[in-house]
Amino acid sequence: MAFLEVQNLTKTFGGLRANDSISFSLEREELIGLIGPNGAGKTTLFNCICGHHPVTSGRIIFDGQDVTALKAHAMARLGIGRTFQVYAATGDLTVLEKVMVGCFLHTRSRSKARACAEEILGDLKLFDLSDYLVSELPVAAQKRVVMAMALGTQPRLLLLDEVAAGLNTPEIEEIMASIRHVNKDRGVTVILIEHVMEMVMKVSERIIVLDYGAKIAEGPPEVIAKDSKVIKAYLGERYAKEHGTIDHRSSINDQNQIR
Amino acid sequence: METLKNAVDFSDFPRIDLVIAGAVAFLFLIFPLFSASSFAMATMIQFFMFSLYGMGWNTIGGYGGQVDLGKAQYVGIGAYTTAVMLLRWDIPFWVSMPVGMGIAVIWSFIIGYPLFRLKGHYFAIATIATSLVLKDLFTVWSFVGAARGLEISPITYPPPDYMRLIFKEDIYYYYLILGFFFLGLLYMNWFRKSRLGFQLRCIKDNEDMARSLGINVHWAKIKTYAIATAFVSMVGSFHVCYIKVIEPVDIMSLDLSILIALMAMLGGAGSLWGPIIGAGVLIPLRSYLKEWLGAAAGLVGIDLIFYALIIMIVSAFEPRGIWGIVEKVRRRKRR
Repeated sequence: MAFLEVQNLTKTFGGLRANDSISFSLEREELIGLIGPNGAGKTTLFNCICGHHPVTSGRIIFDGQDVTALKAHAMARLGIGRTFQVYAATGDLTVLEKVMVGCFLHTRSRSKARACAEEILGDLKLFDLSDYLVSELPVAAQKRVVMAMALGTQPRLLLLDEVAAGLNTPEIEEIMASIRHVNKDRGVTVILIEHVMEMVMKVSERIIVLDYGAKIAEGPPEVIAKDSKVIKAYLGERYAKEHGTIDHRSSINDQNQIR
Repeated sequence: METLKNAVDFSDFPRIDLVIAGAVAFLFLIFPLFSASSFAMATMIQFFMFSLYGMGWNTIGGYGGQVDLGKAQYVGIGAYTTAVMLLRWDIPFWVSMPVGMGIAVIWSFIIGYPLFRLKGHYFAIATIATSLVLKDLFTVWSFVGAARGLEISPITYPPPDYMRLIFKEDIYYYYLILGFFFLGLLYMNWFRKSRLGFQLRCIKDNEDMARSLGINVHWAKIKTYAIATAFVSMVGSFHVCYIKVIEPVDIMSLDLSILIALMAMLGGAGSLWGPIIGAGVLIPLRSYLKEWLGAAAGLVGIDLIFYALIIMIVSAFEPRGIWGIVEKVRRRKRR
């Protein structure tokens, strides 16, 4: 039995099919990348899995339980955490307090929530920033705080929406290390939406590619990088050439099966 | 046990705050010994009542960020319950106050459930509407005295009646409301550090984020609204024992709702001291401006102009109120 199973998930907004019959499954403690051009429906897929959007049709099974109809807060309770792509760092809660909010999901005690938050901040090497407001931090630190907040709820599955966007190379290395740590050492299954290819290709065990709401490919990074449909839809010829993954034959095949 | 510890633990405030707060609390305790006029005494009692109203508002309006402009309906429910029970069945305050709180909380669930489907300004307008509807119902309901309202002042004053809270001298009311004030403050100190308090502050920040952290946003708001309601209704019960006359147009008016919200916002919504500071500025100002400029110089309504001015200044410079300014300065100093 797969840990998370998404079956023929479809989400429409009026006439727009943002997610078109997507199916995939993942095993415990996997680390999956989700890529695709802008507007491909990646974030919508996250929103559906997390219960932020009601799905139009299809089923979501998490850890053997049908969770299709559950609301977002119930999903968090079950162990699905997420971060948001756009997060306006407002409010008067400090970093420690923000992480405590998540920790309060499983306890009423303030001291326990505090201990839990301190453990997570220490684990992500954010402990020194505990007393700052999120708005006072640089973007790279904000992104890791957002991850820490989601970890507060003790998720078993964590959905990360573009945590590396807008970061420079050393910062990406840093957040990549954090993600690997969360996945390997804390045993959290991770799905990652990301446009930064150097990161997705390096960190993911498997990659799922969306385009126009539909899944067009799925497989290990090195296979995805050579996949003609993915190159066409998203990676582009230049990426393929630079990384030496272009396969002349598949390009020709590809031209025959143009949509 | 931890609850109690959190309620009396103010250690996250800088020492200077605690020294000031302690000094002010001491002044409150000895104030009646030096009080020259009954006018000053009445102003102080008003100040405590409005601080408590503001604290109640601050739970949902300040920490939760849901601007509620209908608190007067709950003042009314508390006040009417106490007055009606006293006049009709001679039931003492200590029974009617919790009954009033119960009725107010039930009413808050009934209107809170649909109202919290609304957001922002729409929520604020809806709270005004429910409050006005309830006021109009009370204006025509003869059981509670309709538009003429109720009067509970006795013809002759018996010796101090602690059960019904009928006192001739203000000093009894003063110490009683002071006790409520300290209890309210401890409760708020606990609340802001409680799970619900944290969840609300997160909701105010970003509702989608709150949901993803496992918070049932709608239910958290309803629960907090009920807490705010219980607070306000409790003080409403006291209010009627103190002023002894209630009319729906007065006790359930939009003016009162707005005044409650304004005080908390002026002092600093979403902070522990905010409602107290707000009441401390506005209530004396209101009383004395009315007395000196209104009654003495014939400038009726001048007090309104003054506090409109203060509100404009505060909202232009720091929307988080007077306490927001203090915190801003402190943060800047720390860096």
